[in-house]
Amino acid sequence: MIEVASKHVFAARLRVAVHSDDPRRRAALGKALTEAGHVVVGVEDTADVVLGDGSYPPGETRHTVVLGAMDDRSRGALPREADASQIDAAVRAVAAGLIVRAPLARERGFGAMRENDGQALLTPREAEVLGALAEGMTNKAIARRLDISLHTVKFHIESLFRKLGARTRTEAVAKASERRRNEMILL
Amino acid sequence: MSKPSDVLTQLASAVAARAESARDFVVAIRVGHGRHISGLIWQAGVVVASEQALPRSEEFEVIAPGGAVITAKAAGRDASTNIAILKTASSLAAPALTAAEAKAGAIALAAGSDGEGGASMRLGIVNLAGGEWHSSRGGLIDRRIVLDIDLAHREEGGPVFDADGLCLGMSTFGPRGRVIVIPFATIARVVPQLVREGRVARGWLGLALQAVAVPDALRQSAGQSSGLMVMSVVENGPAAQGGIVAGDIILSVDGTSVHRFRKIVSHFGTDSIGRTVEIRLIRGGAVITVQTTIAERQAA
Repeated sequence: MIEVASKHVFAARLRVAVHSDDPRRRAALGKALTEAGHVVVGVEDTADVVLGDGSYPPGETRHTVVLGAMDDRSRGALPREADASQIDAAVRAVAAGLIVRAPLARERGFGAMRENDGQALLTPREAEVLGALAEGMTNKAIARRLDISLHTVKFHIESLFRKLGARTRTEAVAKASERRRNEMILL
Repeated sequence: MSKPSDVLTQLASAVAARAESARDFVVAIRVGHGRHISGLIWQAGVVVASEQALPRSEEFEVIAPGGAVITAKAAGRDASTNIAILKTASSLAAPALTAAEAKAGAIALAAGSDGEGGASMRLGIVNLAGGEWHSSRGGLIDRRIVLDIDLAHREEGGPVFDADGLCLGMSTFGPRGRVIVIPFATIARVVPQLVREGRVARGWLGLALQAVAVPDALRQSAGQSSGLMVMSVVENGPAAQGGIVAGDIILSVDGTSVHRFRKIVSHFGTDSIGRTVEIRLIRGGAVITVQTTIAERQAA
């Protein structure tokens, strides 16, 4: 087990070819990959993973991650609006031989409007702190941004953990984003 | 001479007979790559399908009972009740459907299309039959009907019958893959609007909102402990024109507190379009009132 665990299954830096008909999308996807530490190569070059946009790249035989694909051919399939961290995670996972799927909207199902029972609602300040957590900011940076004391930041974070039922910052961000998806009201 | 049939063989032949007659109520709707979903023949030339399962195309190939392939146009969608309709190019006979009363524990038969003009069948019971509810998209669903049936994605949108062959409604997937029924009454209410106008008109402000706690210091002046924080404002939408900005916390609309979503949603029915409403909100630590005129929601 120790030998297996010590191997780096997820390569740090991958060669990724981006396949998109839209030059702006291609540029944006390339930028997201570069910022995640990957090298963007041409479609004809040697690549660890091919990132497709909208449809499966025709005739592609390498591992692919496709955004907004209508079919199941690709090893990696993400919604068109997947964010940079999801694309990074998918590319790494597919390069490591895994299959990646995002839960589709229809798999979430047709559900009821959640009634707000007044319990465990975040205050606007807590929502701001959460936003900063999601950006990966430290407590010090959050205190500076919101112009509050470090002590107050810690106080808000503890309250966030309690309300969201989270034990770590990552968990708090994940649970809050799940909540937002379920509880956002469009009027 | 065959043995006298017992209750089990009687049940078996009754279910098989239902499957046979269910065939005339279901179609397959091709969604590409050799896959299909199911649809319910609601009236002559009109097929009802699950809105969330129906791809956003204009035209579909539909496999009618018996296997004939006909084309159908997407003629209306209402995400709030998860109902979409297709109008078929050639006439499609519609056998009469009668509404069933949902009761927990009653036998339920969910029909889907086998993709070749026949029906696939699922047998189970009504797990839960509750009262009306509001979907997360704001639609009113007349009953909460949950089945203890497994459904394949290709069967979603087919009719669900009770033991008497009456129709409970259309099958669809709820959260976490649970199979629920869009009730007959909801379909009967929404389909005429979709046939007429292609959509169900709803009031709209152009806001994405999330419930938040009102900060302690403002609870007294707000008169309530929760509100809806504006997360984003649609550019040039009614709320934007009324001066509402992200970060505002909405407390009430025309005097109705927003702490109950359902009450607020009921303010935005078809008849709300064009009405000017007074919105009380917290901005910058003060409670203020703005006016805006409700517009019609644009197609999603």
